[in-house]
Amino acid sequence: MRLIGVLVVVFIAAPLVIVVPMSFSDARSLQFPPPGYWLGYYHAYFTDMNWLRPTWNSILIATATMVVTMVLVVPATFALVRHRFAGKSIADLMMLMPLAVPHIVMAVGYYSFLGDLRLVHTHLGVVLAHTCLSVPIAFLVLSANLKGFDRNLERAAQSLGASPVKTFIHVTLPILRPGLIISALFAFIQSFDETVVAIFISGRDAETLPRKMFDSIRQEADPVIAVISTLLFVVVLVALVAPFAWRGLRNRIQMNASRSAPPAGQ
Amino acid sequence: MKATISSLSDRPNLWPWLLLAPLAAYLAVFFLIPLIDVAIMSFTEPRVSLANYERVITGSLYQKVFINTFLTAGLVTLSCLCVGYPLAYLMNHSKPRTAMLILLLVTMSFWTSFLVRTYAWMVLLGNNGPIIAFLRGIGVDSPPQLLFTRFSSTLAMVHILAPYMIMNIYSVMRKIDPVLIRSAKSLGARGFSLFRHVYLPLTAPGIANGCVLVFVICLGFYVTPVLLGSPREQMIAGLIGHQIEEFLAFGMGSAMAMVLLVITLAILAIYHRRFGLDRLWG
Amino acid sequence: MDHYLQLNGLTKTYGDFTALKEVDLAIGKGEFITFLGPSGSGKTTTLMIIAGFEKATAGDVLVEGKSLSGLAPHERNIGIVFQNYALFPHKTAVENVYFPLQMRGVSRSEGLKRAEEMLGLVGLSGFGQRYPKELSGGQQQRVALARALVFEPSLLLLDEPLGALDKNLREQMQIEIKRIQRTLGVTTIFVTHDQTEAMSMSDRIVVFEKGSIQQVATPLDIYHKPRTRFVASFIGESNIIEAAAVEPAARKATAEHIGEIEYGPSELDVEKGTPVTLMIRPEHIRLSRDPKEGRRNVRMKVETIVNYGDNALVIGRVGDLSMRVRVLGADVVIIKEGEDCHISWTPDSVYMIAK
Repeated sequence: MRLIGVLVVVFIAAPLVIVVPMSFSDARSLQFPPPGYWLGYYHAYFTDMNWLRPTWNSILIATATMVVTMVLVVPATFALVRHRFAGKSIADLMMLMPLAVPHIVMAVGYYSFLGDLRLVHTHLGVVLAHTCLSVPIAFLVLSANLKGFDRNLERAAQSLGASPVKTFIHVTLPILRPGLIISALFAFIQSFDETVVAIFISGRDAETLPRKMFDSIRQEADPVIAVISTLLFVVVLVALVAPFAWRGLRNRIQMNASRSAPPAGQ
Repeated sequence: MKATISSLSDRPNLWPWLLLAPLAAYLAVFFLIPLIDVAIMSFTEPRVSLANYERVITGSLYQKVFINTFLTAGLVTLSCLCVGYPLAYLMNHSKPRTAMLILLLVTMSFWTSFLVRTYAWMVLLGNNGPIIAFLRGIGVDSPPQLLFTRFSSTLAMVHILAPYMIMNIYSVMRKIDPVLIRSAKSLGARGFSLFRHVYLPLTAPGIANGCVLVFVICLGFYVTPVLLGSPREQMIAGLIGHQIEEFLAFGMGSAMAMVLLVITLAILAIYHRRFGLDRLWG
Repeated sequence: MDHYLQLNGLTKTYGDFTALKEVDLAIGKGEFITFLGPSGSGKTTTLMIIAGFEKATAGDVLVEGKSLSGLAPHERNIGIVFQNYALFPHKTAVENVYFPLQMRGVSRSEGLKRAEEMLGLVGLSGFGQRYPKELSGGQQQRVALARALVFEPSLLLLDEPLGALDKNLREQMQIEIKRIQRTLGVTTIFVTHDQTEAMSMSDRIVVFEKGSIQQVATPLDIYHKPRTRFVASFIGESNIIEAAAVEPAARKATAEHIGEIEYGPSELDVEKGTPVTLMIRPEHIRLSRDPKEGRRNVRMKVETIVNYGDNALVIGRVGDLSMRVRVLGADVVIIKEGEDCHISWTPDSVYMIAK
């Protein structure tokens, strides 16, 4: 069993790794191993408006999606995690519905619906659609966090004189912050990477990066895609490794601090 | 929210409804209505009739595509299982450091967009790519076309969806109490029978989770089959897209979308009845 | 005694289930009261009602004559130490203790100073900059205590705070808490299910069972004069003997297997023939091979001897009645399991419980 496992590791890793050297290739078309290396395609990416505009669109749209999603999801999560009411289980299910519907189905629907509203090929249209698709994942992350929240902390705060509003501001929110950040991040990533719906409803001005990449791959497999892939790959790598590095750094700073703290008495 | 630390004897509370309302309203307008749109179009484009469904259900092309999609999804699911289970097992039985690294790798793959991974496979399987080069190197004179075939599409999908399977199985494996295994061994279970009668059943929930998830996603998969697959062996999502983009045949596209939706929801509903839906993504 | 805290007819029901049934209690200023009882007996529910986190179905809570029922938890000026301490993980120890002052508008410089002083009072000078996760269980406890006391609350409530600590630490904390309470003079209610804790710390003990108060008395009275069978068996060990009064004036009763038995003075009125429940604590019974002079003796067949080193528990039978006797470790060598012996006691050791 373990041998197979090792082979699988190679299987998983290979495609991921391969895009990196590809991005440095100087070949006009897909060739591996690359005949030579240069930074030409990096240069091409960073100077070509045809690529920079969709990148910017994606960042803009993902940010807007993240904000709208969080504004809607945070109160709803509190409602569903902390209160008991008729129809709660149905509401719980409804929150996850967008995950259950294949994106292609939503794409058709949005094409028609947003088309009627003249919102196809606009930033707003994409944000409206992406928000729906981001809601479930933001909800799942936040509700997991909220469920693990120790209510005694809020009771303690109240007993110490904090009104419900002050309790929320001084105790609930700060402790919930990591969960909120991760939830928002997931919403952002979901929107940034979303391809299928974007193919249908973004375009021209509001073209997203995935849409442009998709078109490009379909038409001519521009090597710039390897560049983008590498960049995205590096971003993900940094994002995953950073928390550990940060924590390690913080621990080291704190250990030094407490070592120099006064032993007893002021 | 914080005002009502609700006690069982509280009188009926409007607060949760207020908190839920914005999201509920938003989803109703921007999620349900587009879906309803699809349903309506399937019945009304180009004319009000059931013609679209008739064609979808009886037309040979469409039947072929549906069957192809199901078979492919099944194949991908099975492959993901064969690939994912050993990896999860390896992770579970390695030193913590190693397990962490592998988990990092799987997570990275998970978070890399479908598009990027699809592209990577295009490079790998392309005519100028390393696999063909390797085949030529070992003496295969005219290596077969690897790209734009059912093979490439399936392989890429397995790679893309494997993390879902791996994470599900791994998380279940981690929760298995080693004491259980030890006591099974002390009762005489060894090797394969230990695996079959003790370990496998314990990991079954993870397997079920992973399979349903992978299968359902694969049914509706658009990007990879369209980019990497054979144009002669399309999957449903690709066909729907084609109908809409090329022919603006909203009626047909919607009808197919509805069928796909109903099948997907049916599978998920069965799963929910047995296990509860929130377990899939929890 | 001034009624500083008063509970009047407190009742709490959850649908069909009654958690509290007409609880009445009066507590004086500065008293250290313990709520003692098994899980589910209503002691924590009462605490939560006093704190304002639960609403009573009926009844009222009064502090210095004023009802608390209109007040939200944050308006009640009550300090609470929770079972899991509930320290704010994102604040340092001194910031935790400063929090209630912060909520009351005290400036940061002044507040942190007072917080540091409070930490000094609980023996944690110099630990102020640490975060809760950097503190041991006992230290977190002290921070929680400091935090609950720094704003000079009218009441201090402690909900089984010592449950998570090991034995030595627990005893240490018991002494600490008592010392701090006496220094500050704050009226305190301590909830526990551990009777030794209750016995060692309280001015008075309130025994809860199934939602009502069984007895309110000083530890010694609870021990030597339990009012009900439950209190007698929950606190300390007891031998319960069912008897029937024969000569109430001479305080004589008769019990199966034992025969005639005299009991100590009791406030309860008994008529001839009334069934009574008597109790003898195992440590008040003397064990000997042969009958002892001048005492009521009964033959007992020894069944089990458990030797704890400094003392031993002897379980035996008088006829069909099972009796437990505590003897000094050195004395137990005179008898063996399976043998017969004599047990004896003086009438003062026999106590009548209300039926």
